[in-house]
Amino acid sequence: MINFKINGHSVTAERGETIINVARREDIYIPTMCYLEKTTPCASCRLCSVEVEGMDGFVLACNTPPTEGINIITDSDVLETERTNIMRMYDVNHPLECGVCDKSGECDLQNKTLEFNVGVQQFAAKDQPRKIENWGLINYDPSLCILCEKCTHVCNEVIGDDALDLLFGGYNSKVIPKNSDVLDCTFCGECIAVCPVGALISSDFQYSANSWELSKVPATCAHCSAGCALEYEVKHAGIDSNGTESIYRVKNNFEYATLCGAGRFGFDYDNKATKDEAAFVKAVEAVSKAKAIRFSSLITNEEAMILKALKEKLGLKLFNRDARHMQLFMDAYASVSGTKHYSADLESLKASDAIIVIGSRIATDNPGVRYAMTTAARHNGAKVVYMHPLEDALLQNTVTQFVKYEVGTEEGVLALLAQTLIVDQELTQREQAFIDTLDEGYLSAETNVGDDELELMKKQFLRSKSKTLVIGSDILAHERVENIARLVALIEKYGDFKVLVVPTEVNTLGVSLIADLDIDDYSENVVGYNAKGNFVISALEGADLDVAAFNQQEGTVVSIDKRLLPTNVALGFEGYTLNDIANALGVFAENTIDYTSNLPEKSGFKAVGFDDLGNFYSAKGVDERGYVLEGVKVHRGGHPEEVAELPEFNGAVIYHANPVLQFNAFTATTEQLENDNNLYGSASFAAAARLSDGDAVSFVYAGETVRRIFKLDNTLKGTVALHPTFDLGLNVRSDYRFETVNFKRESK
Amino acid sequence: MMSLEQFENRNVSESGYYKVDIESYPETGWEKAKQVFSRAIRGELFVGLWVVMREMIKFDIHTVQYPKEKLPVGPRYRAVHEMQRLWESGTERCIGCGLCEKICISDCIRMDTKIDENNRKVVSEYTINLGRCIFCGYCAEVCPELAIVHGGRYENTSEQRAHYTEYDDMLTPFDMALKGEVPEYPGFGAVTPHEDERVKSTPLAY
Repeated sequence: MINFKINGHSVTAERGETIINVARREDIYIPTMCYLEKTTPCASCRLCSVEVEGMDGFVLACNTPPTEGINIITDSDVLETERTNIMRMYDVNHPLECGVCDKSGECDLQNKTLEFNVGVQQFAAKDQPRKIENWGLINYDPSLCILCEKCTHVCNEVIGDDALDLLFGGYNSKVIPKNSDVLDCTFCGECIAVCPVGALISSDFQYSANSWELSKVPATCAHCSAGCALEYEVKHAGIDSNGTESIYRVKNNFEYATLCGAGRFGFDYDNKATKDEAAFVKAVEAVSKAKAIRFSSLITNEEAMILKALKEKLGLKLFNRDARHMQLFMDAYASVSGTKHYSADLESLKASDAIIVIGSRIATDNPGVRYAMTTAARHNGAKVVYMHPLEDALLQNTVTQFVKYEVGTEEGVLALLAQTLIVDQELTQREQAFIDTLDEGYLSAETNVGDDELELMKKQFLRSKSKTLVIGSDILAHERVENIARLVALIEKYGDFKVLVVPTEVNTLGVSLIADLDIDDYSENVVGYNAKGNFVISALEGADLDVAAFNQQEGTVVSIDKRLLPTNVALGFEGYTLNDIANALGVFAENTIDYTSNLPEKSGFKAVGFDDLGNFYSAKGVDERGYVLEGVKVHRGGHPEEVAELPEFNGAVIYHANPVLQFNAFTATTEQLENDNNLYGSASFAAAARLSDGDAVSFVYAGETVRRIFKLDNTLKGTVALHPTFDLGLNVRSDYRFETVNFKRESK
Repeated sequence: MMSLEQFENRNVSESGYYKVDIESYPETGWEKAKQVFSRAIRGELFVGLWVVMREMIKFDIHTVQYPKEKLPVGPRYRAVHEMQRLWESGTERCIGCGLCEKICISDCIRMDTKIDENNRKVVSEYTINLGRCIFCGYCAEVCPELAIVHGGRYENTSEQRAHYTEYDDMLTPFDMALKGEVPEYPGFGAVTPHEDERVKSTPLAY
């Protein structure tokens, strides 16, 4: 604790806090142009200069920690002159195109120019020729750029792409793609979000609307379980729109939260269908006669509640594979840990200094986790161990150690991890016996994880204070999920780890906490709700009854943070909803959101109505969205069982993993996101599967034939190919993601 | 100083009123008949008829032959909008800033904009719903580019309302602009005279 004064007010700073942190906490205004809360200070604008009483010159509030007893002055004539001069410099030759600039109305430079009353340009500099760059989804206009460096900082420190760099050249400085002619990155668009002027802008949005015309709808991203906060910006769809609206862009609270490109650019997946009464009558009949409803986890908690009520009323079965896997994992985990929910969240992951990721191609499965890990690595120097059969080039800047294991041997890997990470702990007799009887030689040989690798990991973690184990969906869908879960809980209990489970889909966790699920026996007479079935009710094309897509609904989801998050209607929907079907079948509620306050309290939900849920970050960065689920204590009594014989995957193995920014059938329908559905494999995979670059192949996936073009990818290693499933519509099956397939060669 | 006194004096005869000399009304039947007769048979009727006849023969007619002829309207008159082009190049003046759309109090202006191949903002569609427009002139006043102005076309009859909302109809024809036939616009929405004297010069490094 450091006691000092700002403008005579006594304040205290925590260790590591800078002057600006304290000032903002105490509501004392210091102007900035380049400061970004979530990165290290850029210190490029010098607008946050403050005076220290009794000292000559200025100090920068953004990167100076206070010392005991000083008095900071944030506002004086000298400072005002200094800051006004800085603004005058910024405005030299800044194009006077506010009239057409997309940033006009929400521009930091505009605001500060008016704040410091810079009305005329008093001096000049010879302008340079500056070329506008088109980088795919992002356009860059160097003449508007004020070189604040927010974009480069966020790209490197938060995202981890490290794709932007500053070309220093005095007045000719500009932002350039790092080590490349064109921008080669994951296109998260966070650089667009943080840009204080109109220099970096979404190419799709550019010049299509003015910021003041757009109405903002706070919502939750519907593409993965990170549950990122976003704002849909909505306006009429144009002159010939006849009253319909459309989403023009997505923005996020970039100061405290981060959004990936799927959320930012993949927003136009709304269902434009209208009311079809005949289809509705058929749907009601189909549900009333159905044996079961199969549904995906791309639904809200309220819809899950309706399905649960329908099950109770009509005696149906409910099928949902990924949520059932989650249930199996969490139940087994809870039987050892004693708590219903896993212990970590994204905030605690950001604060970690040691991270193990296992069983997920995490950078594409859940970018939110990736960004948290990047932040941890850059800001805490976290050691990140990535364990997977396939290396991931996207993580190369973040991961400190890659541990490759054989496909299918996750149980063995976790057993080895338990043995390595649990040291000098007082285990129960049964647990000690489990550890002692592990056949290390067998496990090591089958998993291909060597002693030296584990020792290296242990050594890296020696000084770590806050450790997190991230569990991916490969493990949730594993045959031995229950025993793996017990091993995970054991590591958490004795290895001083927090556990973060990455739910497979948007609301896998929510559904798993609400619905009572049955084993999917692939029987006939199944109604599919956003899933495959004999009668399909879906927001996707080709449905028997159209329902609203996620951005056309209000409701809640449970994110990876175990947080209940509300989402709102961005675009209207004319047709029917699941609630209408339920009402017709005697499960009555006026609105779908009437179910929000009835979510099961035994799973940690609170009896809070939808309209009482917040959906914003406070001015000081506190996440006020929804609420965090209550911790629930459960009975302990589970013990890890003996590790089963580890399976072997021989032949041509493919891994169902989507490319960057693609997650599911909804992202596949969006306009801006790239639809790359090729099968990618390394040269050694090509040799093993006897394929060459450009070959057309077909194979059976989830009961249907899939045709793909094989492409060689030199960044891949090993004998597993990457197979995208996002474009397969409803035919996606949430099973173990590695699969041995028989390729059939197709004519080109 | 005003006081109440002058209002309190109710004697009107002191303030210069006088009686009008009015002929007494005819009372008997004979007197009435005499008045009718003397008023009806006077030559004044023919005086009027002669004036009309005289002017007709002279063919010096001052009536405007509307709709063949039209009177010029004042430059500040606010009739149907026009979209201007730049004087020399003929480029459309509108930059698509959207201020007219924003300021319009009857919400009758709407525009669609997009990015063109030169990375510039262009207007792809522009409509004014003249059925709603109240011709207040805000759009022309707010326009930073003298692009939208009120012209002098005050006739609002057509078979369809839509005829007035076409951007191309409002836009000055391109060939006219190229021939230099578009005069510097003096009407509503134009900058005030001598505006250039008030502009401050910006230092330039070249």
